[in-house]
Amino acid sequence: MKKRPVYSIFLGVLVFLIIFWSAAPLLWIFISSISERTELYSIPPHWIPENPTFEAYEKVLVTGESFRGGGGIAATELLRKGILNSLIVAISTTALVMFFAPLLGYAFSRLKFKGSQILFYIIIGIIALPAWPVLIGLFSVFSNLHLLDTKTGLVLLSFTFRLPFETWFMKGYFESVPSEIEDAARIDGCTRLQTLFKVSIQMVMPGLIAVSIVSFLHTWNMFAAPLVLTYTLKSKPLTVTMTEFIGQYFVHWDLMSAATMISIIPPLIIVIFFQKYIIQGLSAGAIK
Amino acid sequence: MKQRISTWLDNEQHLAYVILAPSLTLLLGFAYYPAFQSFKFSMLRYNLKMPNRIKFNGFDNYIYVLKDPVFIASVLRVLYFMVIATAGVMLISLAISLVLNQKFKGRGILRAIVIIPWALPPVVNGHLWKWIFNGDYGALNGLLLQLGIIDDYHFWLNNSFVALNLAVFLFVWRYAPFVTILFLGVLQSVPGQLYEAAKVDGAGVFRQFYYITMASLSRIGGIAVILTLIASFNVFDGIYALMEFSESTKTPMIYNYELTFEMGRFGRGSAMAYLVGFFLFFLTLIYIRTSFKKDKI
Repeated sequence: MKKRPVYSIFLGVLVFLIIFWSAAPLLWIFISSISERTELYSIPPHWIPENPTFEAYEKVLVTGESFRGGGGIAATELLRKGILNSLIVAISTTALVMFFAPLLGYAFSRLKFKGSQILFYIIIGIIALPAWPVLIGLFSVFSNLHLLDTKTGLVLLSFTFRLPFETWFMKGYFESVPSEIEDAARIDGCTRLQTLFKVSIQMVMPGLIAVSIVSFLHTWNMFAAPLVLTYTLKSKPLTVTMTEFIGQYFVHWDLMSAATMISIIPPLIIVIFFQKYIIQGLSAGAIK
Repeated sequence: MKQRISTWLDNEQHLAYVILAPSLTLLLGFAYYPAFQSFKFSMLRYNLKMPNRIKFNGFDNYIYVLKDPVFIASVLRVLYFMVIATAGVMLISLAISLVLNQKFKGRGILRAIVIIPWALPPVVNGHLWKWIFNGDYGALNGLLLQLGIIDDYHFWLNNSFVALNLAVFLFVWRYAPFVTILFLGVLQSVPGQLYEAAKVDGAGVFRQFYYITMASLSRIGGIAVILTLIASFNVFDGIYALMEFSESTKTPMIYNYELTFEMGRFGRGSAMAYLVGFFLFFLTLIYIRTSFKKDKI
């Protein structure tokens, strides 16, 4: 089918608008982070920096220079510890998800057991629990279990609230792949667990990757829960330390932009490389 | 011994319960029990700063919250927020998904770019836009000045009505990609022959759009509206980063945090959480019913 030129031009304009809408703010933050302060603070700002520099990154991560109202190493510590904590928490949660998601999917799709319906709804049901009633109660539960201000607490919490998504998603995924090969393995004398880990897991791998990636993003991005449940650099994730970093010291916008860039690097990398899996994870079941 | 364990585990029932035990324990301990715990708090006079004056006071907290003018204002504010945000998300997502549904080179890259706002931490999203809206050096001011739309720089966030709408904008920017992906999934499953057949029957572009495109989106559209309503009610991170506890964008989520954790009013905070949660719970139940029903068919 031949396309009319009017159509192509119209489409081109729309594509440009979509790119501008989605990417322009990020591009601006990147430009801000590599601009000299004088250029950034001119009116109107220099859209393309004349002397691009990575100094802001160095100040934010290493030297802690040019923080008004104290700062120095203390300020860089906020970011460095935040990055470390966020990575540890997000990676541990993802590891837990990778281990449990196939098990849960397998149990609800392949195994017949008493109460499976009810247990499934108990897991899915936590979607309906609103955030604050849970968080307020969690504060006291965490304080009784000595989990307040620990990375372990954050990992367990994040994992718990990913359960409905992974269970629902993996159950569906298991049901979409045929079980004949598993049955054959069973006849060959494999136990159920062996079958699961040797055979089934390979067939549901794409689904498992999708679930793991969405879990990593969610954990890396979480803010309200750690804001309530952590209070020292021992466990505060980057989202929280960054917010403090802005509130505590008067931060110049070039530094602030560098910090922002650092915090969005992992999600950006993930979107670029795992786009297909994210889309799969998002569209299936349409769970937040 | 090892042999015995593995035989015991190979029983369907046993294996299922062993698999589910850790997750269910976490679920009960970290989700259901805390929710019950805060229900208990909601019936207590409980100020974190005065821990030895905890006392049962029935529904006093609920009555206090329902009479609190700050709370009432925050509810009205979030209702406005939800309506505008949902309309915005639906329109933008529909437009973007229709474009992404066309066939052209670089569509995959465009799709990745479109998802980016959704993938960023929402709180960072708030910081990012705060810099763009900045009154002294912000990019928004610079751009509008160069385009000749404004004569001098404005402090956008100081005007409470503008600030509220910018908060809505932030939400739309972040959430539209998600709904776009939902729409796109459905659009791509509509067979092309449908359009061909309609053309043969003499249906114009608009009738095709209305009877095929819109009709195919109707079910997912309903789910998306409910999801967006829930999500827009729940916004916390972005608003906190953009405006903190400022009056102009104080939604129930923000006020609930302020009351509970900034002021230490655990009893009143829990009561508010329950009042708000009750409302959200029903919205979510509608979602679960519509969305998970297809599983049964």
